[in-house]
Amino acid sequence: MPRRNDINRILVIGSGPIAIGQACEFDYSGTQACKVLMEDGFEVILVNSNPATIMTDPKMATRTYIEPITPETVAKIISIEKPDALLPTLGGQTALNCAVSLAKDGTLDKYGVEMIGCDLEAINRGEDRKEFANAMKEIGLECARSGYAYTVDDALKLSEDLGFPLVLRPSYTLGGAGGGIAYNKQELIDIVRQGLDLSPAGEVLVEESIIGWKEYEMEVMRDKAGNAIIICSIENFDAMGVHTGDSITVAPSQTMTDVEYQRMRVASLAILEKIGVETGGSNVQFAVNPKDGRMIVVEMNPRVSRSSALASKATGFPIAKAAAKLAVGYTLDEITNDITKATPACFEPTIDYVVVKVPRFAFEKFKGTDETLTTRMKAVGEVMAIGRTFDEALEKAMRSLENGRFGLGADGKDEFDEDNFETMLAKPTEHRINYMIEGIRRGMSIEEVASLTNIDPWFVSRLAHIVAVENSIKGVKLDELSKDQMELAKKTGLSDRQIAYLTGEYDSDHMDTADIEAAELKVRAKRKELGVMPTFKVVDTCGAEFESVTNYYYKTYEEEDEVRPCDKKKIMILGAGPNRIGQGIEFDYCCVHASYALQDLGFETIMVNSNPETVSTDYDTSDRLYFEPLTFEDVMDIIDAEHPYGVIVTLGGQTPLKLAKALERQGVNILGTKPDAIDLAEDRERFSELLDNLGIEYPPAGVANSFEEAVDVAHTIGFPLLVRPSYVLGGRGMVIVYDSESLKKYMAQAVRVSPDHPVYLDKFLESAVELDVDALCDGTDVYVGGVLEHIEECGIHSGDSACCTPPFSLSRSIRDRIKECTRQLAKSVGVRGLMNVQFAVKDATIYVIEVNPRASRTVPFVSKATGVPLAKCAALIMAGESIKSMHLPSDDRELDHYSVKEAVLPFDRFPGADFVLGPEMKSTGEVMGIAHDFPAAYAKSQLAIEYSLPTSGKAFISVCDRDKRSIIAIAHDLSKLGFEIVSTSGTAQALKSNGIPVTEVHKYHEARPNIGDMIANGEISLIINTPFGQRTRSDGYLLRADAVRYATCYATTISAASALVNAIEAVQDSGATTGRLEPIALQDFAQYDPAESMDKHA
Amino acid sequence: MPIEIKSSTEPAILVLEDGSVFKGKACGAKGETTGEVCFNTSMVGYQEVFSDPSYAGQIVTMTYPHVGNYGINMADQQSRGMALRGLVVRSMCYEPSNFRSEDSMPDLLVKAGIVAIDDVDTRKLTRHIRDNGAMRGIISTEDFDVDSLLAKVRASDTIVNVNLAATVSTTEEYKFVDDMDEYSFAKNPSPESKYKVAVVDCGVKRGILRGLAQAGCDVTVMPWDTPAERILEGGFDGVLFSNGPGDPQPVDKTIATAEQILGKMPVFGICLGNQMMSIASGAKIEKLKFGHHGGNQPVMNLRTGRVEITAQNHGFAAVFSSIGPLIPELSGGMTEHVDDLRVYSENRIAPVVQNEKYGKIQLTHINLNDGTVEGVAFLDIPAFSVQYHPEASPGPTDSSYLFSAFARLMDGREDYLDIDIAKDRLKGWHS
Repeated sequence: MPRRNDINRILVIGSGPIAIGQACEFDYSGTQACKVLMEDGFEVILVNSNPATIMTDPKMATRTYIEPITPETVAKIISIEKPDALLPTLGGQTALNCAVSLAKDGTLDKYGVEMIGCDLEAINRGEDRKEFANAMKEIGLECARSGYAYTVDDALKLSEDLGFPLVLRPSYTLGGAGGGIAYNKQELIDIVRQGLDLSPAGEVLVEESIIGWKEYEMEVMRDKAGNAIIICSIENFDAMGVHTGDSITVAPSQTMTDVEYQRMRVASLAILEKIGVETGGSNVQFAVNPKDGRMIVVEMNPRVSRSSALASKATGFPIAKAAAKLAVGYTLDEITNDITKATPACFEPTIDYVVVKVPRFAFEKFKGTDETLTTRMKAVGEVMAIGRTFDEALEKAMRSLENGRFGLGADGKDEFDEDNFETMLAKPTEHRINYMIEGIRRGMSIEEVASLTNIDPWFVSRLAHIVAVENSIKGVKLDELSKDQMELAKKTGLSDRQIAYLTGEYDSDHMDTADIEAAELKVRAKRKELGVMPTFKVVDTCGAEFESVTNYYYKTYEEEDEVRPCDKKKIMILGAGPNRIGQGIEFDYCCVHASYALQDLGFETIMVNSNPETVSTDYDTSDRLYFEPLTFEDVMDIIDAEHPYGVIVTLGGQTPLKLAKALERQGVNILGTKPDAIDLAEDRERFSELLDNLGIEYPPAGVANSFEEAVDVAHTIGFPLLVRPSYVLGGRGMVIVYDSESLKKYMAQAVRVSPDHPVYLDKFLESAVELDVDALCDGTDVYVGGVLEHIEECGIHSGDSACCTPPFSLSRSIRDRIKECTRQLAKSVGVRGLMNVQFAVKDATIYVIEVNPRASRTVPFVSKATGVPLAKCAALIMAGESIKSMHLPSDDRELDHYSVKEAVLPFDRFPGADFVLGPEMKSTGEVMGIAHDFPAAYAKSQLAIEYSLPTSGKAFISVCDRDKRSIIAIAHDLSKLGFEIVSTSGTAQALKSNGIPVTEVHKYHEARPNIGDMIANGEISLIINTPFGQRTRSDGYLLRADAVRYATCYATTISAASALVNAIEAVQDSGATTGRLEPIALQDFAQYDPAESMDKHA
Repeated sequence: MPIEIKSSTEPAILVLEDGSVFKGKACGAKGETTGEVCFNTSMVGYQEVFSDPSYAGQIVTMTYPHVGNYGINMADQQSRGMALRGLVVRSMCYEPSNFRSEDSMPDLLVKAGIVAIDDVDTRKLTRHIRDNGAMRGIISTEDFDVDSLLAKVRASDTIVNVNLAATVSTTEEYKFVDDMDEYSFAKNPSPESKYKVAVVDCGVKRGILRGLAQAGCDVTVMPWDTPAERILEGGFDGVLFSNGPGDPQPVDKTIATAEQILGKMPVFGICLGNQMMSIASGAKIEKLKFGHHGGNQPVMNLRTGRVEITAQNHGFAAVFSSIGPLIPELSGGMTEHVDDLRVYSENRIAPVVQNEKYGKIQLTHINLNDGTVEGVAFLDIPAFSVQYHPEASPGPTDSSYLFSAFARLMDGREDYLDIDIAKDRLKGWHS
């Protein structure tokens, strides 16, 4: 059954912004799908609101719509583009939900669009737990005993029958949002109430607890002919009760016998058939009782998922690519295995290594929230590591996390809550594994640790093995270490730093960075002296049974090295590591673009990264892929094996940047901006001196090593102050202080954030306009890629602030001055490649806030807004090309459209934390809105996140005194737009006295019904609330928490409120998909390709 | 008190006949062993592999690094003993975890007297065998002199022209007692038996006997050299020629029995059984470069177009063109034999040849990885055979339908092979 020729145009829906539970794994799968469909001659229409994705590159599809993924907008796009088919299974839950709506409301029928890959009935049977449970019963498989609650009372009744604890899952929510485990009635009431709200169906599944059982996942593929295969089995290290996205997981399964495995295998295949997944990839989850082997089907997803991305990377089998081919008619035996190029894809990959995935959390960003891991996913990213044994893979994964650690403890950085050691060991948190292994170090038995955690004794015994290996070298002097000892340590996965620590080359009382680095180098030298050298093995889908052609490598310590020689000049690109807040998919986009551009130029590209969700770790993206931690040791080992001409460190965010100096010291050619220039920009003193010389203004600043020094600085500069530790990522540990009391409090915490770096204090420019500029420099010319005006004022982290390009409120002269300033800076810092500058404009004075001589978070957004792919240009500059040779359009040209980027915040995942924006970045992702005027573009960006904007109803306004004057115009507009204004006493008074009709309501702490009740009852459609400093924790905090909980549209700054009101007007004016808000395809704007234009002019 | 952890510590060495040396640690019995080194790519099911009599004469390398994780249990043993000569692994587990585990793998190896080597770069070894073909090897925990080991391995027997089946077959005829209660956590009891089946044991796996029982067969197991008359006169509804180790040619008595029985009663052949039936019909057998040993081999049923993921373990295969000339009108118009049989899967043709002895024989199954013969059906007599393992154990159970097909053959159905595997999938299993 070959390719279908009756369809030609295929609509692919992406997954929208990166959010917890739905991250860039869908960019990976969507990109694969678009690529394979385009290659096969189909026309692809793509809708995705996320500009940071590779899939929304104008080259990946025939028509690319960066538009809200709402049924209305997609319907509109269908009416414009008239696709023949819709492929909904590659864009996560978002795409699937949107496709279901379009099928149900008749849009697909109306335009004759066929849903391929999956049909509505199958989606329903897979996603609707009731139908699913019935279907399982029909084929003789067991699900957990359960029932549905539509009210809290229903849930209480069910609890009488099922007993506690109970697992609660709202229907149709992302990543299990709103779910939880209830151990008592009160918890049941709380979770169910929230879950009913979050579930689009108003339905919560109440289920018997199988907490503590072993958890497994099977990745399955099926074709139209009914051939079905298992791509990968995954066993969770954490037992049932922790969301699989928050669990450490291992591929393949480790503790099942063949009979158990084969039962799970046939069950998975039978489930796909029963649910009616016609073609494509699905994922089935199981729980197994460790005591008697009873197996329960937990759930299945009739689409590609986070786990299928992991399974693809773990095995080398490209699930999404195959799924796309199957959807257009091919059968599995007609597809060739990409890796061997000789055998068919209709087989089950077998691997001869172990893969470990460890989730990356960001609880430090959400202080006050409960850090216990539950069935509701909280991880913001993940790392994957490959080793020949579980021990090795686990250690590699633990040092890939970019959390300052160099393995699973034994690096001098262990800290434990001694008073609650056993509690912490038993409680599922991100740190539990550290407690587990420490427990063993302290003499606990495998059985004890296993029974406290419900984690399979096999895994615990592997931790014990690691401890035994640690003990075998502990206290032995490095000089006296034997080859056998060194080899065992390396085979077990211990890093050079851990070995340095264990052999006493440094200790936890003396953690000077330079000393530790020196100690690490000593171990490296000793290792080489002993002849303990790493080897690289190939990921080949077949356990070496067949020859493979793909250069997908991992490092291990064995006898045979498989790196293939190559005559081409090689350039190595260091990736960004795990997604976390402040460092996300944007950097992966930059790395991937660099690889594409350099391949075009004839280089052999080598990608190094540890993040399984990304496009960069697709074996197809670069000529060579090394799935490795981004530490000095691991990167240097690859450099020793490959001897690249140069290494790119400025496109993967902070992760590769911080390796630059150490690599340069080893004689590695760092391409582009040199480490010294990076240092110049990051070293506050050197940088201030440079700005002084250039005559560029910057906010007065000072440095302090103690509280006393900080008070002195504050005295000189004056409050408010922006305070932060020296090297920062995503504004971590950054705060605005208004008085010495809060300064003191901060100092006490900040020292803990970064012990060997001082604290910086900057004058905070209250209510200044903030700008981001991304520019290219080749040493001769500077090209300003884009000037982005922030919507929120200074003080909100640039990653969390909405922004617009071109600027919507700045005069031409200010824009020109900013560009001039950027040119000066780029040249004098010595940038070769990309640079990002943050400016603040206050009272027509331009201040430089900071310069980052590297790719910034906004590069993909700017590239899509302007049609100039900045990361590609940067890579070409780093390879020695000039800006002139690329023939880019003038950076002074006026664009006829506005592009708005808006941040997506994960507050709904972190109850207990304050939901207010500040200098600390909290967003996980972003969306883009493109239109011919700013309010319409902003409206699109809001629609992309909220799915709808309120156009009528009650608007609740409560602002701090500072904002009482500026709120008047906004309130006036809202009133004119037909909103009924409600306010608490203070704001109400200000509005009334300005002639705006307003109804006064009670505050939280006043009589009921109060504003809290109104929000809970869904009476409020819009909230404007501005906090002041950090003091307004009481009412404002509750208000914002409720806004998040009940998904009410809200703004926390005056400028955002103002933009929001203009956006509402735009929607009222012309509807959400027509007129000013008509969908626009990127291909309608001019697009540039530097490599192509170099060819043309050459 | 620091934790005590067991691991392999004593040295061991593996030397191949071409002089390759692999150093490691001992993880089984002490001593020395020789055999043909092969590899198996199954990620689960090591115990079924090690207890499979088909590995007689061989040193098995597991490509998946961790071995022994879930221990061992008597129910999963495929035969009473362990016929393999030796074992090569990357990481042997001494602390197994599973609710059915009765013992650890290293303990079992010691008890069974199997020499095994741990901590070997098994991927390097696998690549070496893949590129250079299967070869003899020696594992020693006593002698570490490479020259001496090389001399010993070069003097050792090859598995070609050796009747290994005789060494693993039962010596006495016996009735198989259904033992599905050992799998009550996952499988249903066998149905009432409807058919009386004789199994000629050339090294039969327990999985095959269970597969027959689950298809409603009352099973009698007989020695490899049982004369045809005993079977023909025993009142059986059908006969199965079992899997077994090594080269089929020297297993002459079984071949003779098969030759006499074919055409007189329904016959089913598995693996070595398939090869012996092919030889009985005059086909040539070739030795594969490194054989098929694993649980992920794609096989297409050419009659249904469906792909089965199969468990395989063989180093020899029948040559299709040697069975007879093609009958073009039954072979999609093909007149000449082709080298790569995958032409048939691509065109969904199940070609038929004219065999001198038994009439029309159809190619029913081929391997999609390399186009080798995986199954044939005798169209003029009630017989069929497959090269792979429908009993899996270990491996995917997609092909368990072949036991149902055998039952259908004994019922006299023409369409006995045309079974939708999807409908059959969960048969016998429960959660």
